[in-house]
Amino acid sequence: MSAAVQTLDISPVGRVEGDLDVRVDIQDGVVVNAWTSAELFRGFEIILRDKDPQAGLVVTPRACGICGASHLTCAAWALDTAWKTTVPRNAILARNLGQIVESIQSLPRHHYGLFMIDYTNKNYSNSAYYEEAVKRWSPFTGTNYEIGVTISGRPVEIYALLGGQWPHSSYMVPGGVMCAPTLTDVTRAWSILEHFRRNWMEPIWLGCTLERYEEIRSYDDLMAWLDERPEHANSDLGLFWRMSLDIGLDKYGRGHDRYVSWGYLPHEDRYNKPTIESRNASLIMKSGVYNGTTDTHKLMDQSFTREDVGRAWYDEPGHLHPFERTTKAIQKNEVDHEGRYSWSVAVTHDQDGRLEAGPLSRQLIAGGRHGESWQHYDPLVLDIYKKLGGASVMLRHFARMHEGVKLYREAERILREFRLKDSWYEKPTEKDGRGWGRPRRFAGPCATGSRCRTARSRTIRSSRRRPGMSARARTMVPAARSRRP
Amino acid sequence: MANLLWLQGGACSGNTMSFLNAEEPSACDLVTDFGINVLWHPSLGMELGENLQKMMKALVSGEIPLDIFVFEGSVVNAPGGTGEWNRFAGRPMKDWVADLAKVSNFVVAIGDCATWGGIPATAPNPSDSVGLQFLKRAHGGALGAGYRSKAGLPVINVPGCPAHPDWITQIVVAVATGRAGDLSLDEFQRPKTFFTSFTQTGCTRNMHFAYKVSATEFGQRKGCLFYDLGCRGPMTHSPCNRILWNRQSSKTRAGMPCMGCTEPEFPFFDLAPGTVFKTQTVMGVPKDMPTGVDKTGYIKLTAAAKAASPAWAEEEIFVV
Repeated sequence: MSAAVQTLDISPVGRVEGDLDVRVDIQDGVVVNAWTSAELFRGFEIILRDKDPQAGLVVTPRACGICGASHLTCAAWALDTAWKTTVPRNAILARNLGQIVESIQSLPRHHYGLFMIDYTNKNYSNSAYYEEAVKRWSPFTGTNYEIGVTISGRPVEIYALLGGQWPHSSYMVPGGVMCAPTLTDVTRAWSILEHFRRNWMEPIWLGCTLERYEEIRSYDDLMAWLDERPEHANSDLGLFWRMSLDIGLDKYGRGHDRYVSWGYLPHEDRYNKPTIESRNASLIMKSGVYNGTTDTHKLMDQSFTREDVGRAWYDEPGHLHPFERTTKAIQKNEVDHEGRYSWSVAVTHDQDGRLEAGPLSRQLIAGGRHGESWQHYDPLVLDIYKKLGGASVMLRHFARMHEGVKLYREAERILREFRLKDSWYEKPTEKDGRGWGRPRRFAGPCATGSRCRTARSRTIRSSRRRPGMSARARTMVPAARSRRP
Repeated sequence: MANLLWLQGGACSGNTMSFLNAEEPSACDLVTDFGINVLWHPSLGMELGENLQKMMKALVSGEIPLDIFVFEGSVVNAPGGTGEWNRFAGRPMKDWVADLAKVSNFVVAIGDCATWGGIPATAPNPSDSVGLQFLKRAHGGALGAGYRSKAGLPVINVPGCPAHPDWITQIVVAVATGRAGDLSLDEFQRPKTFFTSFTQTGCTRNMHFAYKVSATEFGQRKGCLFYDLGCRGPMTHSPCNRILWNRQSSKTRAGMPCMGCTEPEFPFFDLAPGTVFKTQTVMGVPKDMPTGVDKTGYIKLTAAAKAASPAWAEEEIFVV
């Protein structure tokens, strides 16, 4: 006889971008159902209506101050696509660099500021690693917290060299970018990257060189690396991994084994005349849908995207392609867990249903052999996923951090690829049209639908498990953005 | 030890992200060097759910003293003045704001949304957003024009989209360390030390402004962005070219026109078609003049500047 269902309402859930409430049903210590309620509506889509076409470059980055560069990139590519613009090679590289440095910034910021502080929760005081965790990762005062949060401001100094400031620059425009970096900008950017590597990535995060870390291509390689030297085991990555196993975060946050990535980083020689159709074959980081049950990869096609507004506070019917959304907000937003209960909509795939997005998804798709032969391929996270029997809180966080070294290398490559005497901007002709871009969120979770949706561009976002929460109740269904099954 | 509570209303976390870029002092320095006790912050706080609700209630009742209340984001009044479109910890955020403002020694509004309403308050303002004590240029806002915190000050407005990290941490440290008396505020309650000079002050394109040499398109290594590309540097109050962004640059240095984000009207012209990154002109003369310059004076200045313009001003000056 199983125990009665206990319902727990949590308001607010912090450390999420936006105000988020969660209701969970718990039975036998296991979460059997979950509702997430995004509690803020600002109506960016409504604000953008009938405005200047380039208003998207000003407004959409401000949907989210954490991932503004992603929104800006998306807005710029959508306008380029709509206006049939030619984008100079330098500009594609400069846009990618902006997105990359925003992402690299978010790694230590998310790792220390938002994630590892839960490892200092007294619920884990029985762990052998607890004392060290408190010393390193306590909010504001932890040794590595302070180093990590402070150094997280450095990569976006490169963003400022391109766009004047981070967050909230609009330097990416249809036809290219506003800046024209000089040799001193490039040299300075390179030096900032080196500082970030020499002062955090290598000594604190990895305990080894990037080159040594890049040799890790499989789960076995990772285990061997961990045992190889005390510097590896005691690095923040090593300690994160060992403590996660110790407190059981390899067993929480299973998800439902289906993943999506739109792909990202347009190739500087292949996407100069962007179209919706040519996008998939023009990206360095390929798109895809991965089914973990059948272990199959395929490409992602935007035409399959649907927004299910049935549980959200919009007076719109059923499953809609983003192009068809009208964003009609319901006036009285009462929380009705049997009916509508959130400003967030459930984004689904027309054929494959609900998919998880985010860093783990991107890495699982990077492990596929689908796509173009020249596109980025990395088998590591997919191998760990299979060896550990699926997703978990631990693997999601690892996947996020794993991306850092690759993005770092791509940033280095871009600095070498800039041709400083070539053009950065080609003035477009404004006209009516329809475009599509994709705000890729590198950073933390996002609670409020209206915040991370831009006009005519949508993304499928993932859930993120909070270790402090999931340690108390095993999560069986994706917590964030769930619909009632 | 000063207790600080940071909340977000109709916000994007941009000011929080900016705050985390601070270096002198850094976010951690506030705690370790200046004795500021961060009770809770939406991105960084440990507590959630009931525990946080308890703490909020203890702050409202005065059981826990609240020295500094920092607010980021607009105050949402929709629908119909209820504030239900932005609920937090079980009730409308606007009600928490009203209650907490009554017990705070100092209230600091960080960023445009909290100061003037910002992007959410752009027409048609779907969320009925206002700032803490202003809506655009209109005095009042969520707390009313007469509001004073327990220390006797109105809301200290630190605008910008986002606010610069130094503006944030320096103001927070000033009030936490008993230097509020040294603050002088302008008519929009902005600290004068930051918001009296113009964005143009210190801009590397000033010589091009002087000789009326224009950057006619983006991606040019010369020219002033005021004449064609809609730059508001000469009429925006900010120290963006004195206190550089991310220690490196500013929008105008990098080639992006200033959008006037520290002024109550941002985004200007409500982003109507034809107004974004394009200077609004009448008969070839900018509609909005540099602060304090009249049209006749401007036309005379232009003629003189063009006549005096040296040949080098038309060549690339920020050369590879």
